[in-house]
Amino acid sequence: MDHMNKLRGQIRWYLLGVIVSVAALGVSTYGLVSTLGVESIASMAIALAVSLLIAYVAAELASRYVMNPLKILEQAVLHVTPKHDGTPAPNLEQVKLGRELLTSLVLQVYQLASSTDVGQHSNSSGEDLRAKSIASNLPLPLLVMDKMGSIIFANEASQKYLMKTASELQDKNVYDVLDLSFQTEQTLDTWLNDVRATKVVATQTWEQVRLKLPDSKNSLQFDMAAYYNKDNPSRVETMLVLFDHTDSYNQRDQGLSFIAIAVHELRTPITLLRGYIEVFGDELKDKLNPELHDFMEKMQASAQQLSAFVNNILNVARVEANQLVLELSEQNWPEIVKAVGHDLDLRAHIKGKTIEYYIADNLPTVGADRVSAYEVLANLLDNAIKYSNKSQKIEVRSYLTKDGVIETTVTDQGMGIPESVIPHLFERFYRNHRTQAQVGGTGLGLYLSKAIVEAHGGHIWVRSKEGQGTVVGFTLQPYALVAGKLKGDSAGIVRQAHGWIKNHSLYRR
Amino acid sequence: MDESQATPQPTQPQAPTPAGGKKILCVEDEFFISELYSRALTKAGYQVKVESDGLKGLSEALTDSYDIILLDLMLPNMVGIDILRHLREERPNLKAKVVITTNLEQSKENRAEMEKLADGYLVKAEITPKQLVEFLNSIK
Repeated sequence: MDHMNKLRGQIRWYLLGVIVSVAALGVSTYGLVSTLGVESIASMAIALAVSLLIAYVAAELASRYVMNPLKILEQAVLHVTPKHDGTPAPNLEQVKLGRELLTSLVLQVYQLASSTDVGQHSNSSGEDLRAKSIASNLPLPLLVMDKMGSIIFANEASQKYLMKTASELQDKNVYDVLDLSFQTEQTLDTWLNDVRATKVVATQTWEQVRLKLPDSKNSLQFDMAAYYNKDNPSRVETMLVLFDHTDSYNQRDQGLSFIAIAVHELRTPITLLRGYIEVFGDELKDKLNPELHDFMEKMQASAQQLSAFVNNILNVARVEANQLVLELSEQNWPEIVKAVGHDLDLRAHIKGKTIEYYIADNLPTVGADRVSAYEVLANLLDNAIKYSNKSQKIEVRSYLTKDGVIETTVTDQGMGIPESVIPHLFERFYRNHRTQAQVGGTGLGLYLSKAIVEAHGGHIWVRSKEGQGTVVGFTLQPYALVAGKLKGDSAGIVRQAHGWIKNHSLYRR
Repeated sequence: MDESQATPQPTQPQAPTPAGGKKILCVEDEFFISELYSRALTKAGYQVKVESDGLKGLSEALTDSYDIILLDLMLPNMVGIDILRHLREERPNLKAKVVITTNLEQSKENRAEMEKLADGYLVKAEITPKQLVEFLNSIK
């Protein structure tokens, strides 16, 4: 209202100024003409004519000036109406008259437009009722929160789904009512904090959100979509829609536990095979002829390969179920490369390959999950051993790139990969049809390696020419870069390739 | 303070090994595995006692007369994680370092609990008996 009074005052003074100026011009014209000796009636007529002319021009200018705010407002309304999408947004900078009032009116137009689904009028009570009925009867759980995170609306489907009454939800803080856990780092809370600082309108979706139900061991699993609108006049800041997938996600989780059981059953005989082979190798070391010695090594390498493959199965199941969990910590990368080399050398040896290592001596420590990072390099080396049947030499290089990340490449001079196949190499179970006949394997290795490398914040790539060999490379981040993001709760745990141990000089119970 | 068989035999001259006659309790129900492990560990200079039953394993561990306890998780009568929970509750100052040896994959929740309660963790299929010895030798 203050702005309105201010505008009225501005217009009043403006009109007063125009009237006084016209009158003054009329009087001075009359005076001027009379001094020239013109008859007073003629003088009056001339003064009147001049005044009328000037008054007309002034009125024309004044009406345009006074109408300008209305024009800007019209432009704003047309701008938010979808039918007039050619209209540009009004420029409030150009406005001199009533800028404050106009700015607040234009903002209201935009807010109304964003809250009532662009350009539709909802101020009629019929429209209101319709909107309410749609929201209430929507067959999907819908929760609406204000900017304090209080639930201001929970439709019937949401009450039924969450097994709560309307009063148990109404005006309660969403985090008090819903104990949500997310698959990714980004939670509803972090997302809201983010968009509140940077966005006016935003949307987001999450897969497999878990909600623990009180008084029950069960939990609900669903996908969730969110809509955010800053400073919405009807208090609707955030809307959440839940898409129930409890059954299918449970099935997926159980699928993983079936794989966990199968892996357990496979691992017991593998443990024994590896143990007995080692005993035989040790005890018979000096008694075996070269051929039997060779067989013993092949047996040992095969058992080792089997155990690595079982881990791949388990990890692929984890990737698919979105349950690949990395324990990032500070790792000495050359040490991991050495450990992989130690385990893979035998496999290379029985296939007549040698692996050469070129590790730069300026590598910083990496932020990596020791077991997973080991598996990436082991998979790449295993591929190089398997797919380079003509050549002998495999090269592993590790260096610091100019971007400050640690890149590791595995180069073979094998049969190479046709250009058309390269884009598909990282797909699950993808195998080049031409090599399928000659080489065993499932094509899980690269798919898994990509998932692991990307979960580390790195990337993986392939360069290859048919008949000239293949280079596969991947990057890892220096520890200094990821250190800030790590949780400190596993301090004192030293992770090794096949397990972990507590560092007791750091750790005391 | 314990049975005489548990003390190292000073008459046998031994090369100084990290094992140094340390006592190991191996709670493992798969006989072939415990056989392989105790063979390798004994050769390396450890004294090994095997228990294949969960409850018996727990009561043996409660004697607090071991330096290292190798604990399988899938065990008859009492599973490994329950043994560990009891052990930590009833013997807060347990002398032994407890190393879980398992082939079972863990859920996120279990993993966190084991990191809290155990001193080490090994996947059996990933290591040979000799590598187990190396791992245990590294425990101070």
